Amino acid sequence: MRITLLLFTLFAFSMPASAGMFSTIDERANQISTQLEGNNSYHAHLARELANIAVEEKGQHDVTAALEFIRMAESHADQAGGAE
Amino acid sequence: MIKRMIVATAALSLAACAGGHSNIDIDELSEARAAVAASKAAGAERCAPKLQAQAVASLYWAAHEIQEGGHATEETELTERAISKANAARTQAKVNCAPKAAPKVVEIIKLSGVNFANNSADLTPESIAILDGAVATLKRRADIKVEVAAHTSSRGAAAYNLSLSRSRAASVMDYLVSHGIAADRLTSKGYGETQLIADESTRAGEAQNRRVELRVMN
Repeated sequence: MRITLLLFTLFAFSMPASAGMFSTIDERANQISTQLEGNNSYHAHLARELANIAVEEKGQHDVTAALEFIRMAESHADQAGGAE
Repeated sequence: MIKRMIVATAALSLAACAGGHSNIDIDELSEARAAVAASKAAGAERCAPKLQAQAVASLYWAAHEIQEGGHATEETELTERAISKANAARTQAKVNCAPKAAPKVVEIIKLSGVNFANNSADLTPESIAILDGAVATLKRRADIKVEVAAHTSSRGAAAYNLSLSRSRAASVMDYLVSHGIAADRLTSKGYGETQLIADESTRAGEAQNRRVELRVMN
């Protein structure tokens, strides 16, 4: 019973932490690209650059780095304010 | 088996929460950091956004590779790329953000005889022939841009005179546009009583100060 509870608790913490993996890095990079179409601000360019790095890192099987870069890209995409 | 599952789940949690491989505040990146800071200070985020973004992204990527270790060539390439993009961004920002020189008046075409009804911007009938001449001039010299400048005498309040001169300049500009002169070649400005050219002790002097000019701009 205790072990089941422990396992359930660990899964409960691990799932939200891994939530970013439900969409693939490529899908998230494509979403950024679509979201920022025509936007030539600094944050939009930076978001695209970081998304490209994320895809590149994923290609090199460094998922941790890919996730970190895609999160940074999404943060800058938010600051860019969408398509223009 | 259960123990292995616990370990695996914990590892998954830690892996998902891990990160922070892009700390740029490391000695190896001091030159690149300085270059990026200099380009930012030069206004590159606004005036050279793409190059600045490439510089910053390269900086983060270089930081990641350095902290990961074992990629000496990539580390060097990315660091150099960050520096070169930042330097290019700074150069481009200086060009793109340089203040543009204000247009200068290179010629004044006096529209002597253009008058208005008292305290109004309504053109007198006698003014029409003169303005038609101005239209012909502007059509002939299709490459020039002009400011329609209107002036008043100093009789009356300065603020009122400024407002009246603005309305009169706009009235003349409207006439020119309505007779086929492209609006993007014209601007209008009222100077009120700020640029008197004659002594106002006589009526003739006052009349001389009430005038409209076309100022040809470079």
